[in-house]
Formats: sequence, C-alpha cells, structure tokens
Amino acid sequence: MIPALTVYHLLLLVPAPALAAFMVLGLAPVFLHRRLVMLIALAGGTAPLLAMTGMMGLCLTGQCRGVAPIFTLQVGTAIVDLALLLDPLSMITGMTVTLIGACVLIYSIDYMAGAKTADLRRFFALMNLFLAAMLAMVLAGDSIVYFLGWEMMGLCSFFLIAYNVFSDPAVAAGRKAFIMSRIADALLLGGLLLLFIAAGSVRIDALIAAGLALPEGQRTVIALLLLGGALGKSAQLPFHTWLPSAMAGPTPVSALLHSATMVAAGAYLMARFAPLLAASPDVMLVMAVGGALTAAFGSMTAIFQSDVKRLLAFSSISQIGFMLLALGVGAPAAAMAHFVTHALFKSLLFLAAGDIAHSAGDDTSIAAMKGAASRRPLAFAAFTIGAASLSGLPLVTAGWWSKEEVLDAVLGSGGAGRALWVLALLTAVMTAIYAFRPVLIALKPGPVDAHPHTPGLATRIPLVLLGFGSLTGGLLVGPVIRLLGGVHPEMPAYSVVVAALAPLTGLAISWQLSRSPQLADWLAARRLLRQGLQIDVLYQAWFVQPFQRLVDRLSGVHGTTPDPFGAAPVTMMLWLKRQLIDRFRSDGFDSGWMALAGTATPLWAVARRSQSGRARDAVMALAGGTAGLLLLGWMTA
Amino acid sequence: MTALFWLAAALFGIGLFGMMARRSLLFQLLSMEVMLAGPALAFVAAGAARGDAQGQGMFVLILVLAAAEVGIGLSLYLRLSRIADVSDVDTISDLKG
Amino acid sequence: MTSAALWPGAIALLAALMVVTRDSIVHALMYLVAMLLALAAVFFALGAGFAGALQILIYAGAIVAVFVFVVMTVDSTPEALAREKARLRRGWRGPALLVALLLLPLFGGVGIAVGNADPVPVKAIGALLFGPWAIAVELASFLLLAALLTARHLARWEEKP
Repeated sequence: MIPALTVYHLLLLVPAPALAAFMVLGLAPVFLHRRLVMLIALAGGTAPLLAMTGMMGLCLTGQCRGVAPIFTLQVGTAIVDLALLLDPLSMITGMTVTLIGACVLIYSIDYMAGAKTADLRRFFALMNLFLAAMLAMVLAGDSIVYFLGWEMMGLCSFFLIAYNVFSDPAVAAGRKAFIMSRIADALLLGGLLLLFIAAGSVRIDALIAAGLALPEGQRTVIALLLLGGALGKSAQLPFHTWLPSAMAGPTPVSALLHSATMVAAGAYLMARFAPLLAASPDVMLVMAVGGALTAAFGSMTAIFQSDVKRLLAFSSISQIGFMLLALGVGAPAAAMAHFVTHALFKSLLFLAAGDIAHSAGDDTSIAAMKGAASRRPLAFAAFTIGAASLSGLPLVTAGWWSKEEVLDAVLGSGGAGRALWVLALLTAVMTAIYAFRPVLIALKPGPVDAHPHTPGLATRIPLVLLGFGSLTGGLLVGPVIRLLGGVHPEMPAYSVVVAALAPLTGLAISWQLSRSPQLADWLAARRLLRQGLQIDVLYQAWFVQPFQRLVDRLSGVHGTTPDPFGAAPVTMMLWLKRQLIDRFRSDGFDSGWMALAGTATPLWAVARRSQSGRARDAVMALAGGTAGLLLLGWMTA
Repeated sequence: MTALFWLAAALFGIGLFGMMARRSLLFQLLSMEVMLAGPALAFVAAGAARGDAQGQGMFVLILVLAAAEVGIGLSLYLRLSRIADVSDVDTISDLKG
Repeated sequence: MTSAALWPGAIALLAALMVVTRDSIVHALMYLVAMLLALAAVFFALGAGFAGALQILIYAGAIVAVFVFVVMTVDSTPEALAREKARLRRGWRGPALLVALLLLPLFGGVGIAVGNADPVPVKAIGALLFGPWAIAVELASFLLLAALLTARHLARWEEKP
C-alpha cells in the first residue's frame, strides 16, 4: 500500500510548509502574538520557494520527469492513484508561483501592518492555504489532487475577496466570483470525469492517452468542457465579469491570486492537457479566437478605466487572453513563457500600485496617483518598470520577449493566424496606451503623502526583486521554451519590426492622451466602454434577475402559491374528484362501503396498542421475527 | 468443533434472554456484551477451523463495535439516569403510539 | 484442540447464565468478567492467541473497567435488589420461550466441516487488517471517533431543563 520513497517524494515538501502554516494560523486554538503570526506566515510563504529551488536543481540536472506516488487504491477495474508530478511544465509553473508567493507574502507583512491581529491571522492563514492549494494543483500528477487544488484555490479566492466582511460590495464580489467559477468548475469536473471513465485511472498521462483514443465527437466534447473550466478560472469571455469585481480584496490578494497565479491556472490547465486539445483542431480554433478576442476586449476596456486596480484587472484578462491565444495556435511553450513574465510584471504592478495607493490614503483611482513620482519614488519606478514590461517595450523588458514568442507563434500558424496576429498587434498597441496612462499621470505634481512614512524593507525587497525580474526576465524566455520542448518559428524581419513598433505607438498615443485634457474628458465620458460593454448588466438582467424571480415565485414571497410543484398534484386530484366522483349521488351501496371503512377505526385502536414505546417489546418482536425466520429456514432446508 | 458453535449460539441466546427479561438498563447493557460474545466466538472458532486469519480479523472489528457500543450505551445511561427511572426501562415509553 | 476448548466453554456458558440472572449489578459484572476470561481461554485453546490476548486486554480490561465506573451510580439498597428480583421473577417465561425457539434452529442447523488447520500467525492477521481490509479498519476508526464524540456530547453535564 505504501509506495517506496524516491527523490521525487521531496515534492511533498513544496506545498507542505504553506499548509502547515495554514493549519497553525487557521486552526490552532491558542492566541498567537502579532509577530509570531507574521513569522509563521513568512516561513510558510518562503519555504516552498526553497523546496522548489531544490526541485529545479533536480530538474536541471536532467532528471526532469518523475512521479511521486502517494496513495493507490484499486476499486474494481479503476485505479485511484494520487501522485505528484515533476516535469518541465510543473517545474516552471511551480517556480513562478513560489517566487511570486514569497514576494507577495513578504510585501504583505508591511502592507497589512494596519490590520487587527485577528484579521491579520485570518488573512495570512488564507494566503498560505491558497499557496498550498495552488502548488498542489501545479504539481498534481492525477486529476483528483489537481481538482482538489483547483477548488481550494476558488474557495480561498472567495474568502479573500470578501476579506473585508463588513463591506457588502466585497462580500457580493466574493459571491459573484465563487458562483461564476463554480459554473466553470462544474464543466471542468465533467471533462475530468468523462476522461476518468474512459481511462479507468486518474493519472494525467493516462487520462490524456485515453482521451486521444476516444472517437472524434467525444474528444471534442471533453476538450470543450476542459476549455470551459479554463475560461472560468482565467476570467475569459464570457466569464470575465468576476475578475474586476474581485478587486474588492486587499491588494496583495489581487497581486497573488487575481493576476499572477490563480487566474492563470486556466492557461496551465490548457498547457497540461495540450496533447489532448491539439487533437481537436476545432476546439483549438475556438480557444485561439476566444483568447484573441478576450485580449482585445480586455485591453480596450482597460483604456477607459478610472481605477488602477480595475485597469490592472482588465489587463490580466487581456494578458491571459494572449496565453490562451498562444495555446490555441499550438504553442504551449510560448504561452507558459508569457505566463512566467506576466506573473513577474503583473504582481510588480499590483504591489507598486498598492504602495502608491497607501500613500494617497488608500485611494486606488488613477487620478489619485498624481504626485506619486515624488511621494514614493521606488514604487513609482517599480510601477514604470512593470508598465514597460506589460506593454512590451522592445529588448529591455521581459514582456517583450515573451509577447514576441506569442506573436511569432500566432503568425507562424498560418491560415486564420494572420488575422489573429493583426488583432494581437492592435491589442499590443492598446496595452501600451493603458499601461502608461497611470505612469504619466503619476508624473504630474500632486498632493503630499497621506501616510508620510518610508516603506519598510518588507515592501522594498519584493519591489526590487520583481522589478529586476521584470527587466531581465527576458533572458529566461529562451531556456523556458527550450525546456518545454517548444520551437521558435523563423519569422520574416518585418514582423519583428512591426511588433516592436506597436508598443512604441501605444506609448506615443498615451503621451498624447496625458497632454490633452479634451481627450481625457472624452475617455472619462465613455461609460459604456468603461463598464466593459456592460456585460455585467446583461448577466444581471438575463440570469440573475430571472433566477431570483423564479426563486421568489417558488417560495411564494409575492403572494403567489408557494411550492407550485408540490401543489400541482393536489390540484389535479381535486379536479379529478370533482369531475369523476362528485357527479354521482351517494346511495346505500356507498353507505355500506363507508360502514366497512368505519370499522377500520376500532381496528386501528387495537393495533395501536402494539406500539407500546417500550424498548423491551421491540427487542421481543425482533427476536420473535428472527426466530420465526430461522425456524422457517431450518424446517424447509 | 460443532459444540463450539452451539456454545456461541447459546451465549447469544442467553444475552438475548437478558435483553428481554431484565428491566434495568444497566443489566441490558451487560446482556448486550454477552450477546456480542457469541458471534465473536463463532468467528474465531470458524477461523481456527479453517486456518484463516479472517476469523480473528472479524473479532477485532467486533471488539471495536463493542467498545463503541459500550461508550455510547453508558453515556446514554448516564444521560437518561438524570431524567428517568433507569432501573425500569418500561417506564421510558415516550414513543408510545 | 477442540476438547481442550470445551471446558472453559462450559464455564463461559454458566457464567453467562449467571450474568443475566443476578439481582446485584456488581455480581453480574463479576460474572461477566469470568465469562470473558473463560472465552479468552477458549480462544487460546483454539490456537487464536491474538484474539485471546485482545479479549483479556480490551474486553475484560478496558470495557469492564468502564462499566465499573458507572456501576458506582446504581442504587443497591436491599429494597432495590428485592425489586429487581421480583421483576425478573415476574417476566422470565416469555423471553425464555422466545430464546428457546431461536436456539432450536441454530442448534439444529449449525455444522462445520472440521479441518486440521494450523494456528493462524499474528503476522497474517496484521497483513489482513492493514492490507485488503484497510478500508474496513478505517471505517472502524470512523465508528470509534463518532462514538467518542457522541459519548462526550451525551454525557456532558447540563442544567436540568
């Protein structure tokens, strides 16, 4: 039952510290001092990085394909074997997640300094649980651990969005995120279960192999279900509406969960099942087109935002759209490279924005960023680096290298790829426009610091670390793609030049915008576009309100009959009685029957006496019955 | 060997007799222990006769069952003793129809 | 092997009869211990040493000890004993008849082919419990946990309503 230990069982050490920290912070029934809470949270947040670095060392020395079985159970012909998996994909994703997680937790120590101890404990417990869940999902070698991690992430996301439990919008936003991702999770669960039925095993490689052996139609259905799960988790069209509302949570939560790691889990899912999806060209096309549309939609909407966090939320939607676009054209390696760089610069942007918002009295509007350059020079520099990397300024930023890989893969896929490439280029232009808008506004003179204190070491270390990564991360793109077995397609020179010009064009437009007040006013007046074409309102009108009306109707709130389904048979029987029975007059025959029925009452009174309510009588009845059955069996045998 | 099965059946029967004849709750619990001893003996005897470990395996499970039963039974007894006359369970008949 | 088991078996039978017929709960409990120990002897005689050891340790040791604690709460004045005796005397015929009816087919129908089997080593029992029966053992642990929580919940001291 207990499998032999291998070096890959060290993988268990990656999520274990975070889980242990959660257990202590969340479940220990003792009071913990504030400093102890922070210390435990920090240990739980950074130890996975160390463990994962060790696993990366193992990976780079050539043993990068290993399974650590945890538990095996044979039920009939099906095998349930839980396992952790180390391969280039999980290694790269795991490294990114642990690095960002450690940075964000360090940053949170400073950022959450104003919170009460109990809130602080809850916050760090959930952050650590999230980290453990995400790592479990990333390292999962079977669909059960995978889905467990996936769902735990959703749960943590719900709790952390609604972290401020006294704010109704925050709780409503948490509920919205939970319900929308539940819908998508149900699709994913359906896909995984269908694969399990086909494979009789929960190992991911077995699932993929079994999926490939299925007939075309079933495979397409499964691929679509998996894609649905990814769209929901990654807040892609048409599930995107939960992510902008999710910004009600604290900024570190937005940085870790709702931009860098959790929402990109959809891309990871697609990369994990890439061989299966590659066999369904139609689904691939849907994914590519959907990704490109989401990317364009997200960046266009981001231009019109007036709140930095909402702007960054739409930016995340757009950038994950890029990843799905790359996956859709069959370049998972490029998608994961973009995942790595996106995680670096997007968490940097959020952390810097959080620090700047702190200095403006926790005002996250873009207008409040005025004067940030002088108030918080480090955070401003970090934000600028992040914005440059996000828009992909050529050569010097990490974002450019990975986006270049994505664009080349799209162009190289031919066919519809050219149209998608043009769309992606437009998106890149728009990305630069919205990315630099806050930067240019922050340069303007503004009010002095609301909290005049120098940010502590815990704020500075992650900013510097991630800022460094956002600039030099481009060096990683090549090795990551080679490790994942991707190839860089040979591209004509014009494509590189055009792709390099796109962000510069966007920067120029953004510059114009910041100098011309008319344009800024025009932007501010576009309410429809700022609200993302009001898709939220449509959902409210199409799904939420009809559902509420249905519930109200069934529960009889507005004076209607409650429980119409239960009432229907009664009404029908009453109608039948009126139609069939009430038509005949009663006569002697009826009276006879009624008299016979009347004798039932005294009989009932006699039978009722057997219900003495005494336990001993019940035992006697049981014994008598058993004796009778045994006697019957013995005499007839 | 058959005599051992008779013995097991007799133990079960005696326990059952106690369950039905005694009116004190505590005696009934004791009788239940006697009842459980019967099947336990039957399992061990059958396992010994066949040289099979499953007999004693079942014995372990019966032991667990007995422990759980005693725990719940005695706590129920203590609880009941505060509100009812546990020396005569026939007085506890609130479920009377 | 079997004949050696019959003597303690007879003692167990007598002790069991005494358990259900005593007036005093303390006497009944002592007879229960005697019955359990006699059964342990039967197990040893059958070569089931593991079951015998468990019988002594857990049954005769732990479970009976729990009873002893509760016995302390019982009313054992002479009047109470007399009442107990009167109750048993009034209503033993019906149950006895029922049990006789139940035992008749059991005695008549039971039979087993006697084999010459070797005693089962303890290792085999362990391999069984933690191998193919692992799920059953886990379920048993659930049962114990549930019983523990229930007992704690039920026995908690509360103000009378």
